[in-house]
Amino acid sequence: MSNPIRSKAAPTSPQQEDLASLAHVPIWLFVLLFLLTFWGMYYFDQNSGWFNVQVYTPYRSVAELKLYQPPAGGGNERGKAVYENICALCHNVDGMGKPNQAPPLVGSEWVLGSPTRMARIPLAGLAGPITIKGVEWNLAMPAMGAALSDDDLSAVLTYMRQSWGNKASAITPEQVKAVRAELSGRSQPFTSDQLQQIP
Amino acid sequence: MNYGPLVFLAAFLALSGSWVGFVVAPNFQLSTLQETNTIGAGVTYPLGRPGLAQQGLQVYRANGCVSCHSQMVVQERTMCEVSLTDFGTNFVAVESALRGINSNYNAQVINELKKSLPKTIVFDTTKQKADATVKLINQAGAKAQVVVTPSGSDIARGWGRRRSVAEDYLYDDPVMLGGLRVGPDLANLGSRLPDVNWHLRHLYAPQTEIANSTMPPYRFLFETRKIGSVPVAEPLNLPSGLVPTGYEVVPKPEAVALAQYLVSLRADVQLYSTPFSTPPAASGSGSGISSNAPAVK
Repeated sequence: MSNPIRSKAAPTSPQQEDLASLAHVPIWLFVLLFLLTFWGMYYFDQNSGWFNVQVYTPYRSVAELKLYQPPAGGGNERGKAVYENICALCHNVDGMGKPNQAPPLVGSEWVLGSPTRMARIPLAGLAGPITIKGVEWNLAMPAMGAALSDDDLSAVLTYMRQSWGNKASAITPEQVKAVRAELSGRSQPFTSDQLQQIP
Repeated sequence: MNYGPLVFLAAFLALSGSWVGFVVAPNFQLSTLQETNTIGAGVTYPLGRPGLAQQGLQVYRANGCVSCHSQMVVQERTMCEVSLTDFGTNFVAVESALRGINSNYNAQVINELKKSLPKTIVFDTTKQKADATVKLINQAGAKAQVVVTPSGSDIARGWGRRRSVAEDYLYDDPVMLGGLRVGPDLANLGSRLPDVNWHLRHLYAPQTEIANSTMPPYRFLFETRKIGSVPVAEPLNLPSGLVPTGYEVVPKPEAVALAQYLVSLRADVQLYSTPFSTPPAASGSGSGISSNAPAVK
């Protein structure tokens, strides 16, 4: 029985039918596919956030999310974190110190005074009698800050100088770096008298 | 020709492709998710739900609450506004800065503005423009700040201050996301309605608390007892007429757990992934913190 569709077409030889099955895919299809792929990749690039777990709609990238973060607001978060991790064990979270353990930092002339003098205390330690706000303390502080980076140490020193009502200038990482370089090789803690000679 | 291997390969690729996309990739992305710190206060978030609330999650699950309530706030965009908080002393400089922002600011408008600080001076702009404006204002000696406000229809309904993120569900097993909203979204129910007794009354008789509620009552979570047979710490304080005289309604442990779970639903802290800011409080006019709660009778 003859196929009505096939019989409608012009009578052809078997070779011609084979040729029909080898017709080329139209070139515009490739162009369209390429354009669609390109658009898809572009869209992915713009909107995926590169699958970062912090990026949710309507934000589209880590950079955009960062832009929307509130300003640090003068808050020294880094210094606060370092202080509460390390210093607050003895000097207390409120900077008031603990009896027979550590003197107060609030209003202390050693904290509010010269930056380079203050930076020496955590870098090399402090031992022997020292007068703070008219009270004599005789304890030893190890070089708690020697292992901290310049950034961390300057942040925490600044935090002490500018928290709990303290108002003194900030300490920069460069200042800490300079003091650290001066103290290289020193293993002895400072005494009160030695510190007094530091400008 | 035998197409078996080809069909197998196609099916295998299709199934393994979707498995990679829906299971493996999210696992890579989220399986290491941990508690994080909130922005501002820097406290740990989320804390696990208290024990009773954890049991309440199972009651929530068992009673199919999830089929009518979602726990997923959607945020469509983020708006930035600039709020003038302090006028400073240099009137001329601030005036010219404000004119640069909006030419409608004449001396009279600015004098009015000065009386009612903080005042929004730029509405709905981009973060970059808002930052530039703040810089301009600060240079003139006044103080302004950028207010970042998430927006979207869910947020406009008061269902939350910000969108929900994966951290919000860290301790929920299973996560009760929900897909249908016959009732309101519950992602922040605890911040809107923190009263456990309200929830108990609402579970017993929803229409006593919200007049047009379509929620069915869950009275099988309660026990109606004759007063006096057993002393009870806290019977429900229901309107008269619901309970026959001489009887009292006492929540079963499931109801108490469910209510504790409902008040534990809070997802309104600021995380790195969801920035927002509280508008500056108006001086001398209450707390300035607006509640996101809908009007509750």
